[in-house]
Amino acid sequence: MRKTHIVLLVLIVVAISVLVSVFADFSTYETFAEASKQPGKKYYIIGMLQKDKEMEYDPKKDANHFIFYAKDKAGNLNKVIFNGEKPRDIEKSEQLVMMGYVDGGVFRCSKIQMKCPSKYKKDMVAVGNES
Amino acid sequence: MDTQFVGEHLKPGQLGHFFVITSFVAALFSTFAYFRAVRTEQSDPYNSNAWVLLARNGFILHTAAVISIFITLYYIITNHLFEYHYAWEHSSLDMPRKYLLSCFWEGQQGSFMLWTFWHCVLGLIVMRTAKVLETRTMAIISMMQVFLCTMIIGLYLGPEIKVGSTPFMLLRHAMQNAPIFAMPNYMEFVQDGNGLNVLLQNYWMVIHPPILFLGFSLTLIPFAYCIAAMWRGEYQAFIKPTLAWSLACGAVLGTGIMMGGAWAYESLNFGGYWAWDPVENASLVPWITLVAGTHTLLVYRSTGRALTITFILLSITHLLVWYSTFLTRTGILGKTSVHAFTGDGKALTYHLLGVIGVLLLLTVGLLVKRWRSIPKIKTEEATLSREFWMFIGAVILFLASIQIIITTSIPVWAPFAKWISGKDFAPPIDPMQHYNNIQVWVSIIVGILSATVLYMRYKNSDGKTLGKRLGITAAIALMMTACVAWGQQITAWQYVIMLFAACYGIVANIHYGIAVQKLKFKNLGPSVAHLGFATVLLGILLSSYNKHAISYNTTGESFNFGKSAQENARESAENVILFRGVPVAMGDYFATYTGDSDVAGKDKRIYYKVSYERRDSATKKILEQFMLYPDAFINPKGQQGLSANPSTRHYWNKDIFTYISAAADKSKRDTGAYKSYTANKAGDTIYLSNGYMIFAGLGKNVSDKRYTPAANDLAVTARFKVYDLSGPIGEINPIYIIKDKQYVTYLEDTISSIGLNARFANLVVHSADSASVEMMIKQADPKDDYIVLKALIFPYINVLWIGVIVMVFGFFISLGNLLSRSKRMVLPSLQAEE
Repeated sequence: MRKTHIVLLVLIVVAISVLVSVFADFSTYETFAEASKQPGKKYYIIGMLQKDKEMEYDPKKDANHFIFYAKDKAGNLNKVIFNGEKPRDIEKSEQLVMMGYVDGGVFRCSKIQMKCPSKYKKDMVAVGNES
Repeated sequence: MDTQFVGEHLKPGQLGHFFVITSFVAALFSTFAYFRAVRTEQSDPYNSNAWVLLARNGFILHTAAVISIFITLYYIITNHLFEYHYAWEHSSLDMPRKYLLSCFWEGQQGSFMLWTFWHCVLGLIVMRTAKVLETRTMAIISMMQVFLCTMIIGLYLGPEIKVGSTPFMLLRHAMQNAPIFAMPNYMEFVQDGNGLNVLLQNYWMVIHPPILFLGFSLTLIPFAYCIAAMWRGEYQAFIKPTLAWSLACGAVLGTGIMMGGAWAYESLNFGGYWAWDPVENASLVPWITLVAGTHTLLVYRSTGRALTITFILLSITHLLVWYSTFLTRTGILGKTSVHAFTGDGKALTYHLLGVIGVLLLLTVGLLVKRWRSIPKIKTEEATLSREFWMFIGAVILFLASIQIIITTSIPVWAPFAKWISGKDFAPPIDPMQHYNNIQVWVSIIVGILSATVLYMRYKNSDGKTLGKRLGITAAIALMMTACVAWGQQITAWQYVIMLFAACYGIVANIHYGIAVQKLKFKNLGPSVAHLGFATVLLGILLSSYNKHAISYNTTGESFNFGKSAQENARESAENVILFRGVPVAMGDYFATYTGDSDVAGKDKRIYYKVSYERRDSATKKILEQFMLYPDAFINPKGQQGLSANPSTRHYWNKDIFTYISAAADKSKRDTGAYKSYTANKAGDTIYLSNGYMIFAGLGKNVSDKRYTPAANDLAVTARFKVYDLSGPIGEINPIYIIKDKQYVTYLEDTISSIGLNARFANLVVHSADSASVEMMIKQADPKDDYIVLKALIFPYINVLWIGVIVMVFGFFISLGNLLSRSKRMVLPSLQAEE
């Protein structure tokens, strides 16, 4: 066997083991119920902003404290505390991907990714109002 | 029902359509003619030449059509023809001229056009320089143009199936269901366009996309040459041009990627220059495989080995560019990327997958067909040979790119994984850590290899000399590592090793350039490029390892993230609130928010003035003072909230990076109540919450734009000089008016910097030369004016930027050397070189 082949084999073995260990890093999208089974463990949760519930954000008191309610894919409502400034346009979002963990029934969230209505739809609304 | 619409300009669109069709047909023709030329090359050289001429003209016609499309669309945008969807969506009347060009690449069709345009330019160069390989390379390039043209052709095959989307789509066609378009005169209501996303209104938006796309386009040329070489079954003629184009591509694409990083760093609040964001990864991965392929090509040129992997790497580079287009343009990344590209739905997904499929089939098919005839060398390479370690380095780069692609592509393969395992896969909770943990090893190995291989020779090296040279280098690097690690307090062991790799790379490449190459400029390409690479590693390490926030919020609670206390504080409270005029300690500095630039109606962008002071801890003397002006668009385009741009203080050894994450809402700020004050004579003082004003007397000559004198009016102005705690800041002249001797009106005067509103409320006349003025004064509560700020320190970030520049410079030296050598026609390709 040639040296190159041996080295290649070794590299492939290493690469595969790295890739397998990488898979352990990957998270999964869960629901509030699933996340509360293991409080403290971080998950991604896909949900929607509950728009009729009040949002609390008072930067004068704490600029990193934003409270709102979100409904997950299973339809369960949960209180969410986001430790950051209130994301812009959250009122218009149609989907939220929240990263965080459950702590005493509250979802403590440190990252929110918002999906807003596609540009196309938003355009439709804007023009429709003008006529 | 055919409505006759009023006020539309349909000619430019029709012309544009015509050019799109022309460019498509011309590309198709050119492809066909080049294929014919290839077919007849051996059997019928005379006819082949005729086909080549036809094909060339076809390609030139295609280029002319593409440029015409550009001009037409530019005409539509500059003339604000908002009946066209593209102009309406991406431009607006108030947009500065320099951004009009940027509208092109904000949209999807425009970026495809930019890509097409660069291919045209490069294609013309290849046409002139490729010689024996012209027919085949140009056949591939023309074919690619056919694919790209289909992206903007906008052909409807039935109601649901469309091929590409045209930039000349009319607004009323784009949104057929909107009721406004039932009106023939709808254009009267469409007065202005949407404009460019405010985040993109930045000079980087003008310069970054063209360079990045030129880099992407350049990957086509090595790909075309590799395919051409396999097609022709001759593996010598392609080496020189492929190498030259690969070097050019490496330099341009590398520049483009780091410009993206610099843009993110300078003007977007992502909090850094690199976040392992899918869109960033998608542009980095082709660069990695390109660099790997360039190195294996060098191995092949000098030893005849590693040709197959060269073909694989350089082909995959171009395929990855298409794949990254697929990732970023179809919206498939949706919930995993911060970059706001709009998806164009299913049609584009299948379209791009189709193109990728065709290219993959072509590449794999040719590789399989030529597998046996691709030259290979049976003997084994020596352990101390340059080619052996370059090969290893290339493989490691390739593996690194596979890892990045797998994680980046989670949204692509997650549906399949769910189908198999039932799990709904999501990206890692902490992507930065995920990538860093793996890529740190790649950077260590590649860093060390990139310095070591230069000291080796092709075929075999003298172990003794090599050992001696490398031993000295390593010893120096070790000392350097110890100093830096101690000075910068780098303690995590894997990063200490990375630091060593970077130091080793720097020392070794400098030593190599001076001692071995005697600073002969034309040979310095590799050592300069590798020196740049090692410097980049050092810069990344120094700036990221000790990057920290200095804007801790000390008022709020800190969450428990299950980490150390310090990390909790960092994660939960990197935003600090600054009330106007109240200094807050931030690291070594005291930061004070002193006001904003809000001038109503003048600029949508508001600059916030924040003054920084650093004092000596013992004597309290001010050592340093400066202002930063982070800015933000408040409620842009009817959206809630703000869109912020950072402001950065640069030092030679660190950057203080600040941006606004929230600000007081001005419309809700007007809550203060009026209070009454009286001034009896000139010199009387009225005290304000943060200053005072001195009555300077009454004025009968009223000159105010808001006031037009009338016959029976009596108008008086009260003049005040206003001071804050540090000195005079201006004058106010509120006006008291009695109209027709009975109605009283006021014209208030304000000083916005201290939030002062003053109304001249009453005039009490005591005698001919004595009168009291009654003032109603309102002052904004300073607690009502605040900003929420984030401030980060990036130490030694300049090392990173310098590294990138040096690396790109190295690419260009190599390219220059290669081109100058080829002129003298001395390239015995299988000769070993030092």
